[in-house]
Formats: sequence, C-alpha cells, structure tokens
Amino acid sequence: MTYLPVPTVVRTAEQLLSLRGISKRFGAVHVLNAVDLDVYPGEVVAIVGDNGAGKSTLVKILAGVHPQDEGTIAFSGGITAIASPTDARDLGIATVFQDLALCDNLDVVSNLWLGRELRKGGGLDEVEMEQRSWTLLRELSARIPSVRVPVASLSGGQRQTVAIARSLIGDPSVVILDEPTAALGVAQTAEVLNLIERLRERGLGVILVSHNIADVQAVADRIVVLRLGRNNGEFRVADVTSEMIIAAITGASDNSVTRRASKDAEVVQLRRDARS
Amino acid sequence: MRGAAALREYRGLVQSRNPTPGSQTSLREANRARILDALKRHGHLTQVELAGSTGLSPATVSNIVKELAASGVLNTSVTSRSGRRATEVTLARTLGLVAGLHFSARHLRVAISDISRTVVAEHHVPLALDHRHDRELDRATLLLSDMLESVDATFSELLAVGIALPAPLDIRTGMIATPGLLRGWQGVDVAEVMANRIGAQVFVDNEANLGGLAEARFGAARGTRGAAYLRIGHGVSAGLVINGAIYHGVTGKAGQIGHVTIDENGPICRCGSRGCLDTLVGAPALLELFRDDPGMQRIRDLLLRADSGDSSARRVIADAGRHIGIAAASLSNLIDPELFVVGGELAQAGEILLAPMRHALDRSALAGSDGIPDIVQGELGDRAELLGSLALAIENVGLEAELRTFAR
Repeated sequence: MTYLPVPTVVRTAEQLLSLRGISKRFGAVHVLNAVDLDVYPGEVVAIVGDNGAGKSTLVKILAGVHPQDEGTIAFSGGITAIASPTDARDLGIATVFQDLALCDNLDVVSNLWLGRELRKGGGLDEVEMEQRSWTLLRELSARIPSVRVPVASLSGGQRQTVAIARSLIGDPSVVILDEPTAALGVAQTAEVLNLIERLRERGLGVILVSHNIADVQAVADRIVVLRLGRNNGEFRVADVTSEMIIAAITGASDNSVTRRASKDAEVVQLRRDARS
Repeated sequence: MRGAAALREYRGLVQSRNPTPGSQTSLREANRARILDALKRHGHLTQVELAGSTGLSPATVSNIVKELAASGVLNTSVTSRSGRRATEVTLARTLGLVAGLHFSARHLRVAISDISRTVVAEHHVPLALDHRHDRELDRATLLLSDMLESVDATFSELLAVGIALPAPLDIRTGMIATPGLLRGWQGVDVAEVMANRIGAQVFVDNEANLGGLAEARFGAARGTRGAAYLRIGHGVSAGLVINGAIYHGVTGKAGQIGHVTIDENGPICRCGSRGCLDTLVGAPALLELFRDDPGMQRIRDLLLRADSGDSSARRVIADAGRHIGIAAASLSNLIDPELFVVGGELAQAGEILLAPMRHALDRSALAGSDGIPDIVQGELGDRAELLGSLALAIENVGLEAELRTFAR
C-alpha cells in the first residue's frame, strides 16, 4: 500500500516573550546564570526545578520586582527593560504569586477590580463591574457560586481562580502562575488545571512554575528545567517521561538527558532531510 | 416520568452545544440546560446565585426552577444567605447513586448520577500523558468524595461505579489485555483496587466499547441492530455494539482497529507490531508532522487550525480519515454493521474527517442492496464514554444493592 507522506510544516511563530542570557547575583550568590526562556502565544511553558534553582527569581525579574544584572528581555519582538511592577503590567505581563494577595474581607468583585475600579458619575459603577466579573468568570468556566461573598469564605481553588481572573482584568498577553496548585485539594487542583487550559485557549502565553511533575505534564506544552541557576534541559511534553524530567531536575543524569534529546533532534532532522 | 425527564435533559444538553437558532422553545430548552449545567457544577445553589452563574435574569431563573421543580427534576428548599431568605435549588435524585469515570489518554471525566440516569455532579481534569494507575485512582477517589459531598451524599450511597479505560481489557482477568498499550495501568485489577477504596462494586471496560454503548442507547446509533463506534483520539479503537450488547470477543480485544497493519514497513507501534493504524493517525503521529510549530501541541490546536482554513491541518485530518476509512471497510466486511458512529476528540473535525472516511469505505467495503453503512458523527460528543460508564454501572446495580437501598 502506498500513501503520500504529508509535508512537514515549518512555521516560525513569533515569540511573545524571549529571555536571553539572564543573570542575577545577590552578593556572592549567583542565582541565575545565563538563563534563556521563550514563550509563544497560546502556549503553556512550565518552569520546574529544585529549591534554589532560580525559578522564583526568574519570575520576579519578569514581574518587575528586581531587574536582571545581565541579559536581555524581548517582548513582542522589541528589547525592553522591566524596572518595576508597573512596567510589567503596562507591557502585559501579569503575575499571580503564591500568596495570591487577595483582600479577604472584600467580595469577589471588589478584589477583581481593586485599584482599577470602574466609575460612573461620582461613585463606583458596581453594576457594570459585577456584570463584567460574571462574564469573565463564565468565560473561564470558573466554579464560583456568588461574586458578592467575601473572598475569605471561598475554597483554596476558588481563591486561586479569583486571583487568576484578577490578573486578566488588565488584558495581559503573558500570565505567570507561581505554584498555583500547591496546598490545594484534588478537586481544587482540577479547577486550576482546567483554568490553565482556558487561558491557553484564549491565546495567552502561560508560564507555570510548579513542583508537581504530574500537574505540569497534564497542562504544559513545554517544560524548561532549571538547576542551580542554569538551564538544564528543555522538553516537549509529548517527548518526555517523568523520569527524564526528574533526572534533569536533580542532575542525576547531568547532561545525558539533554544530550540524548539533542541526538534525537539530530536523527529527526536527518530523517527529514532524507524525506525531502 | 423520571426517565423521560432525564432523556429530555440529555437532549437539552446536546442542544445547548448546537443551538438551533430562532424559536422560543429552543431558547427555553437552552436556558433550562444552562440551569441544569450550573447545578451539576456546583451541587446546590440559591436562585440568586443561579442567575449570576448562568447570566439569566432572576425572573427567568425563577420561572424555570418553578417549572422543573413541578416536573420533579429539581428540589427547592428555603435557606438563608447573608441573613436574607433564599431558595436553594438542587437536582432531584432518587435513592442510590452510581458513578462513571472515563480515563482517556489525556483527560479524566467523572460523573455521579442516580439510577434513573439523572447526572447530579460532573467534573473533569486534564491528565499527564502516560498517567499511572495509583496516582489517578487516588485522585479519582478524592474527586468522587468531594463530588458526593457537594450533593449531600456519602460513599455508602454509591451502588456501583463504571470505569472506561483507553485500552482493551481482558474480560477474564480484568487487566489490560495487551502489554504496552497503557503502560501505567498494566498488571492491575482496576476493578478490585477501586472497589477496595470506595466499598462499591466496580466495573471496567474499554472506552470505545462504552462510548459505543452510550451512542447505541442514547445517541446516534439508537435503534440499530449492529453498530460500530469508532473512537478517534490519542489512538483509534472501535466499540462493537451488536443487538444492544457490547461484543468483547473471547478475551476482550475485539474492535482494536488501531492495531490493524496499514504499512508493513511502518514505524514501530506501542503494541510491539509495525505500521499499525495508530502509528499513522493517532494524535502523536498527527502532531509529530507539525513538530517545529509551537502552536500545535494538542488535537484541539489541530482542530482549531483546520477550522480556520489552514490547508495543511485540513489535509492531515483528511488523510487520517482516509486511512481510518480503509480499516473501517475491513471491519464493515467482517461484522456487517448498520452504521458507523465516529467519536473521540478528532471527530469534532466533522466532515473534514468523515468525507474521506466515507470515500475510502465506499471504495473497499462490500456494498449490499442498500449500499454501504453510513458514517455519522456521534451525538454525545466528548461525554459519550462517560455516559457509557454510567450506563455500565447502572446495568450492574445488582439486586443485592437494591435491597441495601430499601433496607435503609
């Protein structure tokens, strides 16, 4: 039986965010050493690594908490500097930190619009804010029964959902989630994972920092491993087993994993050349 | 009455996915489905909360709730929210619940229904590729316990559980029939392990079989005497439903058309053979063709790309359809079904996939006096296998369990 081989498509999509050679020192500690990272639109990139691998520092650089010492950040093609959280927000990078930074005594609507309240006449436009909150939460298929209850009364997963929804109010193009499923129950983790899928479908670039390899493999498209402040492998989720990821995180196989990955890529390239 | 209500509900849900424009009736049906959907997601809600989470006006919600409560679909009770009187709404259910779990290659779907098939709670979560039985069964148990709690029930009310797995199961041992097809679940008696965890009877079958069962009972293959359900997703497999019952074969491997040899010299398959249909049209094979394209990582990306008119995406899906059509033709010649129902993630491509399948079937299948079997898209969408696992559980609720219910 014969059939035509389908041509392989090579498309160079534009990166949303591209970090090159990012380094950061805190005194004698070299936290990040020439780290590269790319994020494409509609893609979930997971950053995994052991404690002290530099994940949080990388996130903080992108969030504008502290600038990098060396290296460049390109956003939508142009090199930019992120000197403050306002810069990050203006660029369209939204970060949801692990502590969520919600106001427990305020209701969901007030939390979503905090600092960006819609106004009408002399006061707040509560009706419009409530309607837009519902629209947003529905688009995210969020399981929030009511938007007029104090955030303190919501479950962990629902609070995470509110924090993620809040990050979308400014219409960002990249959302960074720092350990979104840590300390959540199973049903709540499911909610957050589904929410990440929704973000991806909206065409956002999502950076997911997580310790949970299974969660990462469930929703991520690409996994970037950091080890002791350096890139220690980058995998397509379709190509990788959890053993390979863990080996790269711990350095058990040091570079044989990355070496094997690059060898595989070579073989694929050879095959492709032979085909064409 | 209750059965009719459940059926209406299924239809309502199907309709809400494909809203037919125009009439007042269809609008009402869609609104009803929205309310039922919201209740399934949250367990119980007040009318005000229902209005918020469905986007319907409080008056519409109130009318629909009144109507559905009168026909026995919903229960209402008086409660209070923030010190104010409120009407709490729950889905009405008969005593005795069953659960259905569908583990597909990349997704877990869970539903709880009463024995008259009214789904009262539903949840889903993406899974890692190559998931493992221990972690996923743990997760499913916890998820079930949360969902039972949301409808004010406990594990003791659970009469039976049906599980759909993405691999053929040996009906004599209850384990994965062919090594390699689902590595993380090999050598485990899933029914027994799960039964020990939750204390109810557990029944396990292949996802294509259960998808086929659901389509034959409530979907596109209703009323047929012999139908084949082709599940096209991460892999390809067929569920054969003959005279209303699943045909398993002697060991349970019947219908695994994903492992029909298409190319003698083709790539090695996870089953150990070469050039199987799966290695040509399974999700990994299709996505591998777009390796350098960062925006093409899931079947859904491929579908969206095809939908937006991308010619290579459409071509890849059409070629897959042609190959599956060839395998379907062999199947047609062997078991002579009345109808092919296509399900699984790739089925959402619709005619892009189905037209080349028909063409290939037309070329290679033996035509009878009334032509070749028709190929149609499933009516139950991505919930077919889940509904099938619920149906499996309901069928197996034994006399013993019913007695238990009455004794309570």
